[in-house]
Amino acid sequence: MLRAGGLYRVLRPLLALYLLKERNRPYRIWVSFLCRIFEGAYGRKRPVVWVNAFFPVEAIYALGAVPFIPEIYASLVAYFDLSRGPIALGGTKLSTDLCSFFRCVMGLAEEGVLPEPDLVISSSHLCDGANKFFSELARFYAVDHLFLDPPYGGGDKAKVYLLEQLRYVMEEASRRLGLPLRDEALSLVLHRTRHIWHFMQEVNRLRQGRPSPFAGSEGLSYVAGMAFYSPGSEEGVEFFRALRDHIAVRVRGGKGYLPRERFRVLWLHHIRPYYPNSIFSFLDARGIAVAFEEPNYLWWPEPRPEAPWESLTDKLLCNPWAGPLERRLQAVREMALSYGVQGAIHFSHWGCRQSTGGAVQLGEALKEMGLLYLLLPGDGADPGNYSPGQTLTRLQAFAEMLESR
Amino acid sequence: MRAFAGVDVGSLCTKVVILRGEEVLSWSLRRTGADPVGAARCCFDEALARAGLQEGELGGVVATGYGRLRIPFASRQVTEITCHARGAHFLFPKTRTVIDIGGQDAKVIALDERGKVLDFVMNDKCAAGTGRFLEVMAQALEMEIEEMASEAATALKAVPISSMCTVFAESEVISLVAEGSRRDEIVWGLHRAIARRILGMAKRLPMKGEVTFTGGVAKNRGMVRALRELLGMPLNIPHEPQIVGALGAALLASSTSPSVRAAERLKI
Repeated sequence: MLRAGGLYRVLRPLLALYLLKERNRPYRIWVSFLCRIFEGAYGRKRPVVWVNAFFPVEAIYALGAVPFIPEIYASLVAYFDLSRGPIALGGTKLSTDLCSFFRCVMGLAEEGVLPEPDLVISSSHLCDGANKFFSELARFYAVDHLFLDPPYGGGDKAKVYLLEQLRYVMEEASRRLGLPLRDEALSLVLHRTRHIWHFMQEVNRLRQGRPSPFAGSEGLSYVAGMAFYSPGSEEGVEFFRALRDHIAVRVRGGKGYLPRERFRVLWLHHIRPYYPNSIFSFLDARGIAVAFEEPNYLWWPEPRPEAPWESLTDKLLCNPWAGPLERRLQAVREMALSYGVQGAIHFSHWGCRQSTGGAVQLGEALKEMGLLYLLLPGDGADPGNYSPGQTLTRLQAFAEMLESR
Repeated sequence: MRAFAGVDVGSLCTKVVILRGEEVLSWSLRRTGADPVGAARCCFDEALARAGLQEGELGGVVATGYGRLRIPFASRQVTEITCHARGAHFLFPKTRTVIDIGGQDAKVIALDERGKVLDFVMNDKCAAGTGRFLEVMAQALEMEIEEMASEAATALKAVPISSMCTVFAESEVISLVAEGSRRDEIVWGLHRAIARRILGMAKRLPMKGEVTFTGGVAKNRGMVRALRELLGMPLNIPHEPQIVGALGAALLASSTSPSVRAAERLKI
């Protein structure tokens, strides 16, 4: 039943009606956006392109195809506490040392739950295993796999190299899917992304307010989801405008998301555990506000619709989580100062090399700034890797350190 | 002056300390078993009886350890990280690093001159480098834990142990026995393997000042030897290292009780 495109067409207005009681309009837009995406992906009226979370999704919107980001689907499955089975099944095909989001996707693919792709495209930056994993998915569905391999460092040569790659990949996608690739379409998409960029900038500025107006746990779930999935879409513009308005009202009213904010911390890493867990309820109860989180940091320069290919290339190349660690250190230092935090929690997702690789050095840099730092090992998708007692002890000790200052 | 209690419900043992001012009135220890609340109650009653006190006479009770959230007679819960830091600092005021190896986890804690936690590192979710690891190895070698400790303290050579996974290390030990390796050398190799793991954790913190070794494994002379050798520095070993967490909890109960805080404010 999940695979029927019509389900999402019916579900969309029903959920909109149900969520009317939900005062958080951005959340309603997120739900509606997902329904539209799933309707398109399962309905198969247009070609479906699977991309990984770090691929510039704008290019797929410009092509007129339906983008499907399997990692986000896996996080939704985990959110509904349904990831155990798919992860176990995925573990029969992939190393159990690999990211649980990937294993969950593989299990879901095996179960036949996911919308079938017409093409798979991935990018190797940040997530080192992505190209190999997406290549495996392409083989599983017997479709083509195209990939980007952004260079490690920046500079003019890297830009030329990546720009050519990006154009080549999208021209190939256009040819293989039989969809025209027009610069005007990409410009239009970048125009929307520019709006989104400005709203995100305002959202991030508003979130510097005290008390913290918006929950980091939500920033790590549907806001981060939209930051990955929506750039270039109309709903993206609508979502981030609504989010800006929602937070602005709270800031004007001096309302924090916690009844009493005692401390502010930064959440490091792109993800959080999505399955039911007590991490955020514990932090809330201790008055520890997650003031900001890494995935919503606006690292890319203002999009230029007049130069769309260059603009997307810049977005890929200046990602602080790709390339040398110094770039991430600088971004995290900037976030720590902007949001006036007393500490940072680094969620070290099991199997994630790109984020945990620099976690110790990141901690040292933050401690030099006089901040407290907690390295919190865990798993974003696999509840089997979540130890409530160990996690709570670490969090409580971190809270005690904050309180004793 | 009122007395205060600290209850440390660990995965293997439950400990209670009753404190008045800076004097330990009594303490008690027993296996936690499958009923942590019951073990805590028995231990608590035993310590109260030894101190000649009734529960109502106490000024406060702080619970710590993995079972801290389940103790109905505790007025507050504090992590074992904060409690071990406080207890070790009380016993050895120059302590700036605490190594605590308990039944199911190992921690290295950096503290300041007041005994407050600056930073900490814990082992990950497996039992490698913990008291439980040593217990399993002792069973595999068919010896008592005390006997194992004593052999490790005097062995001349160590057989390298490559696996730190409790299950894999057990089969490695069995293979070494089958190959004819000397038992004392295997035991010493196991202790050095744990010490190396602890050293790896300790190196992530600034190792300044004195180092105090707490937790049940600090009673193990072989482990003390291995840590001293690998750290290259002396270690403070409390007379009863297993009750340091409960002691810290009792100290925290006394320092945070309203009457004591009021007295501090009035400089009584």
